[in-house]
Amino acid sequence: MEELITELKKEIIDVLNLEGMTPDDIDSDAPMFGDEGLALDSIDALELIVLLEKNYGIKLANAAAGKEVFKSVRTMAEYVSKNRTK
Amino acid sequence: MDIFIQSAAHISIQNPLCEDWFENPIPHTEGYNRSIEPDYKPFINPIAARRMGKLIKRAIATSVSAIQSADLEQVDAIITGTGLGCIENTEKFLSAMVNEGEQFLQPTFFMQSTHNTISSQIALHQKCNGYNCTYSHRGTSFESGLSDALQQMLLGRINNALVGGHDEMTPDYYNMLGKIGYWKQGEISEQTLKRSNTKGSFAGETSVALVVGTTHTQHSLCKLRDVDLLYKPSSESLKQAVERMLQQANLHVSDINAVMLGTSGDCDFDETYKRFAQTNFPNTPTLWYKHLFGESFTAAAFSVYAAATCLSKKHVPQHLVYNTPKPLEQPHNILIYNHFQNINHSLILLSQC
Repeated sequence: MEELITELKKEIIDVLNLEGMTPDDIDSDAPMFGDEGLALDSIDALELIVLLEKNYGIKLANAAAGKEVFKSVRTMAEYVSKNRTK
Repeated sequence: MDIFIQSAAHISIQNPLCEDWFENPIPHTEGYNRSIEPDYKPFINPIAARRMGKLIKRAIATSVSAIQSADLEQVDAIITGTGLGCIENTEKFLSAMVNEGEQFLQPTFFMQSTHNTISSQIALHQKCNGYNCTYSHRGTSFESGLSDALQQMLLGRINNALVGGHDEMTPDYYNMLGKIGYWKQGEISEQTLKRSNTKGSFAGETSVALVVGTTHTQHSLCKLRDVDLLYKPSSESLKQAVERMLQQANLHVSDINAVMLGTSGDCDFDETYKRFAQTNFPNTPTLWYKHLFGESFTAAAFSVYAAATCLSKKHVPQHLVYNTPKPLEQPHNILIYNHFQNINHSLILLSQC
C-alpha cells in the first residue's frame, strides 16, 4: 500500500503541476479538498478522475463515491488497489 | 478629449519587465527564440500559477505590472489581442485527443485552449467585472484591441483600459510556419535583416500590457492620438488615411519626427514599408523594432511600447533607427505603421504629453 501511495503522490504532483512539492510534503491522511491539506478544488477533482481512468482503468461515475475516494491520498490508494483494472 | 498611454510592461526575448532593451538590447542570432521568463512569485500565487500556462503567467505579470505603474487599483476594461491564444495548451489538448483516442482529456488544457482565456484570467486575477474582450485577428489583433479601447474612451463609456498583446511560439508552430516561409535560415543579425533580400524573419514571443486612460498623470508616457485599421488599402487610400489622421490631429507631415515601421527583414513585406515611407514621409527618419523583439502575430504591440518609451524619455536610441534622411530630432510625434501580409494595415499616432 505504501508503494501505491507514493506512486499516487508522484502522479498527483505531476498532473496538478504542484511545483516545488515532493511526495514527502504530502500527508497521506490529510484532506485533499477544502481549506486544509492540499486545498484542491473542483477542477483538480476532474483532473484526478481523468488520472484514475487513464492510469488505473477506473471509471468514477458516482459523484458521492468520489467524495469518499478523494478524502485523502490513503483513501484514494485503497480504492485504487480494490478497483484497478490495469 | 486626450487619451494617454499611462504605463507599459513587457515580457519578451529582451530582459523582461524592465527597459534594459532601450540602452542595452540583447542581440539574437537564432531563428527561434522564447521569451525570457521573470520570477512570477511577486505577481501570482503559486497555487494559482500551477494551473497557468506560460502565456497566462506572462499576461498576468505584465498586466499587474502595468496597472501598478499607472498607480491604479482597478481598470474599467480589459482588452486583449492575441493571434493564437494559449497555443501551447491547445497543442497539449489536441495531442491528447489524438494519442488517447479522445479519452482522458485534461480539463485544465481544455480551459486554457481558448483565445479568450487570457483576458478572462487577467480579469479573475484582478477581480475586474468590467468590459472584457478578446480580439483574435491574426496580425492586427493588438491594434484592434487598442482601437476598441480608444473608441470606448472617446464615447465616454470607460475612463481607462488595460490593453494587451499576447502570443507564444511553440516549437511545433514555429516549424509549421517555417514550412510556409515565415523564418529565415542561418544566423540572424541586425545587419542581415536590414540588408535582406530573402523571405522570412525571426521568431519572438509577445507579451505587452498597456494601460490607457483619459487622465494625464505624472506617470503618463505619451498621448494616444489615433488608431486606424485598413483592409487591403491601395497606396492612394493609405496616403489619404495618413493625411486624414494628421489633419484630425492638427499636424503636418513635417511635424512627424519619426515613423515606426514593422520592417522585419522579409523582402516581401519590407517593400511595402519602404514604399510607405518614400510615398508619405520621404524626409522623415524611420525606426524599426522587430530586430529587437522578433516576429509574432501581436508584435505590433512592441511598436507602440517602443514608440511610447521614446516619447516618454524624449530620446530615440540609435539601435531603433532604420533610416535617417535627416538628423533625428527630439521626438514629439511618432507615426506607427504596421501591416500583416499586405492585407491588414494599421496606423497609430502617438505624441509627447
